[in-house]
Amino acid sequence: MKRLRLIITGLSGAILMILAPAAAQAHLVATGLGPVYDGIAHFGLSPEDFLPVIALGFYAGLTGAGQGRAALAGVTLGWLIGGAAVAGLPPLVLSVATAALYLVIGGLLAAKRALQAAPVAALGFALGVARGAADFAGALLGADPALTLAGMAIAVFAVLPLAASVTLPMRRTWIIVAARVSGSWLAALGILFAGWLLRFGKAVQ
Amino acid sequence: MTHVPAPARAALTPVVRLLAVVIVWLAAPAGTRAHEVRPGYLEINQTAPQAYAVIWKQPTLGEIAVHLAPRLSNGWLKRPPVDQYAADYFLIRRWSVASAAPLAGVSVAIDGLPETITDVFVRVRWLDGRRQDVILRPESPSFVIADPTERAATGVPGFLVLGVEHILTGLDHLLVLLGLILLVRDRWMLLKTVTAFTVAHSLTLALAVLCHVQLSTPVLNTLIALSVLFLAPEVMRARRRETSLTIRHPWIVSFAFGLLHGMGFASGLTGLGLDRADLVSALLSFNVGVEIGQLAFLALVLALVRAFRLLEIRWPRPVALAPTYAIGVFGATWTFQYGAAALGFIR
Repeated sequence: MKRLRLIITGLSGAILMILAPAAAQAHLVATGLGPVYDGIAHFGLSPEDFLPVIALGFYAGLTGAGQGRAALAGVTLGWLIGGAAVAGLPPLVLSVATAALYLVIGGLLAAKRALQAAPVAALGFALGVARGAADFAGALLGADPALTLAGMAIAVFAVLPLAASVTLPMRRTWIIVAARVSGSWLAALGILFAGWLLRFGKAVQ
Repeated sequence: MTHVPAPARAALTPVVRLLAVVIVWLAAPAGTRAHEVRPGYLEINQTAPQAYAVIWKQPTLGEIAVHLAPRLSNGWLKRPPVDQYAADYFLIRRWSVASAAPLAGVSVAIDGLPETITDVFVRVRWLDGRRQDVILRPESPSFVIADPTERAATGVPGFLVLGVEHILTGLDHLLVLLGLILLVRDRWMLLKTVTAFTVAHSLTLALAVLCHVQLSTPVLNTLIALSVLFLAPEVMRARRRETSLTIRHPWIVSFAFGLLHGMGFASGLTGLGLDRADLVSALLSFNVGVEIGQLAFLALVLALVRAFRLLEIRWPRPVALAPTYAIGVFGATWTFQYGAAALGFIR
């Protein structure tokens, strides 16, 4: 039992370390092409950002075009507001919100539980606010935070529809199964994050 | 396509223009030049048993040198260079070193490289003709010089990656591709247009690298900028269901522009100063890399168009026109910028 707990702790730590490289670096990816591109690159290199957006895209695609549009509007707007206005939130609060959102989005996707467009938009908005604020908390600002944030929002705006377009046509069963499996993984990550927060009582860095 | 009444369209025009300017301002890479990211080049050349010549080509953005500095663990480059001058897109420094210490085991690092997206090609050449070629990247900005008797051959994948990076960071090439994608109406025409672009740029890339067929840099840059600018009104015409030679046969224009852009791609290789013997394999790998980058961009744009269609998104007119305006604004800016440089008004 003790050994199992040790293995689980080790695995959890390894997964969290893999998932949080950008947070650990605590500085912005510099592409040399300007802050918009830095924002796009930061999003693309931060699994803690792009994984839930992809999962939300899969989920929205599974439930319909209307939900897809709602998720797209919600998450993009949320990211902009989160990055611009809520960046001062304590990291612990943002980590708790991230863990909860991983769990909810992953769970909904895995269970293929359809929601109306409005709740999907709200879910997307919450995810955007949490991750946008987390990205801009601390030192992750860059030379021009507004343009960096615009870059991230552009990346979010492109990635979510791409993910939704994978599941939206619903032609192949294996795609749906694969998308739902990825939802269960995201939910598992949410549980890992939550476990970390309960165990250590501090934000995942 | 929804019909917009003429007065409403007139009212929308300033909004579209304003939006285009905002988008261009937002998306403008540092310096708003067409092709910013050139690789750096460091050569350590053994000229006599105890003498070395070191050349460092530092890429520059207009008049700003990218912050990169080569460093050798034996301290050779701490002394001032014997020669230093600016060339097109490069700041060149030379050192002459007399030393009996072995070169093998010396660590080569490029300070500042992790903060950029450019690469540095390093060539170490020994007196007996053996050499070591390494491409340093932001994620691996240093290496240790190997014993010349143990080292492996040049890495072809390095040039392949260089080709991919070259196109994905070349906003001018990407905008021309985007313009062509927006211009064509069916898949068959898209295939012909993209193939024509590929064949043409492969041709001039090979001619420029192997036979040194080149236009002067300011003239080439102006022509490439004009090719971007040319496409914007053509795309607008196509949207209005009007016709022109470009709209009927986009592959012809694509071929002509490909010839120009191939010479632009060549700047990613010719600046490195490679030996003729290495050029063919480097050229092939680089060109394959360019194709991979081009196809990746094409796939991304087409996937996005498909995704937005599946989500049944109806864009407001200003948003729908924004990519065309962005192509036009960038094209116009570069045309003025490079045209003025070609005519000698600015440096």
